[in-house]
Amino acid sequence: MGVFALDCYVLILHGSNVLEFINGLSTNKVDKTCTTVFTTEAAKIIDMCEIIVKPDYVAIIGHGPYKQNVLNHLNTRILDSDITIGDATANNEVLLSTSDIEVGIGVTKIETFRGHIIIAPIGKGPSPTMTEEDFSNYRVDQMIPHQGHEITPDVHPLACGLGHIAHEDKGCYIGQEIIARMRSRNRQGRELVRLPNDEGEKPTTIGLTHCLEIRRTNNG
Amino acid sequence: MDCNTCEAPSTVVINAPEQIEVSLTISKMAKEMLENAFGDDRSQALLIGVLSGGCSGYMYDLQIVESTDQDCQELVVDGFRVLVPNATSHLLDGIEIDYQDRLMGGGFKIINPNASSSCGCGESFA
Repeated sequence: MGVFALDCYVLILHGSNVLEFINGLSTNKVDKTCTTVFTTEAAKIIDMCEIIVKPDYVAIIGHGPYKQNVLNHLNTRILDSDITIGDATANNEVLLSTSDIEVGIGVTKIETFRGHIIIAPIGKGPSPTMTEEDFSNYRVDQMIPHQGHEITPDVHPLACGLGHIAHEDKGCYIGQEIIARMRSRNRQGRELVRLPNDEGEKPTTIGLTHCLEIRRTNNG
Repeated sequence: MDCNTCEAPSTVVINAPEQIEVSLTISKMAKEMLENAFGDDRSQALLIGVLSGGCSGYMYDLQIVESTDQDCQELVVDGFRVLVPNATSHLLDGIEIDYQDRLMGGGFKIINPNASSSCGCGESFA
């Protein structure tokens, strides 16, 4: 398909227990580079983020409009931990490639369920080749949720297709009790579905022939 | 992101919470258990910390220590030295340290008027 320019923030965290800190606040088991979700006590999404572990720091890549909410969430919980946060958003561009392409020196590339995420200094990344419409078609075809569409502060991770990054036995994190209860009772309320365009009632993303929608499940 | 020639990322300003002069109480049951734990050695102190994490965002951390590197307020409550880190004083002002004598889920408990909610195990609060 190609390369799409994402609207992302790039936070750089330094400190001796950054991974432990992020692990305690998000859904996935964060002990290496991975995708995770920061959730509220009500298990509603604050943002889905890529966590990139580097030798000297940990980077958090999330959706631009949700940056301040994530910063507020992190800041109030740093307390007296040995953690500092830097904002490298202005220095970097973040792109998604649907295939594994070569990138230059100084460019970071990770494989995720969405595709290959590329973080490059401004002007050093590959040129975008996909339009917003192309990206929507790609996401609908692959059933990939995206911030601002399916991934919003109104839903919990299970409802928007992020159950695979809500680890089942990692232990406590904010919102964990609610997600565990929904799973154990098999009552997640809503789920992400892919439908023909003419069957969508409130589509969150519309593709050429199909759309994505978050629908109430039959089991409530 | 790995480019060493790039400008350093700007540091995010963290608004440190206001430090509060903490007052706290210890229930009769907790006092008895602390007397057992400390014995006659009152040179040690009860450090009441808060860590991030848990189901509700914050977790209590109780330790008996001689000293700590953390910037703390030192109180004497019912004859016990109590240390409260200044960084978490806003979360701990007005608490009562209690002890619940139960086979399951027993032990020291914090009754916290600052907590809007807590998780089932009682160790985590928001």
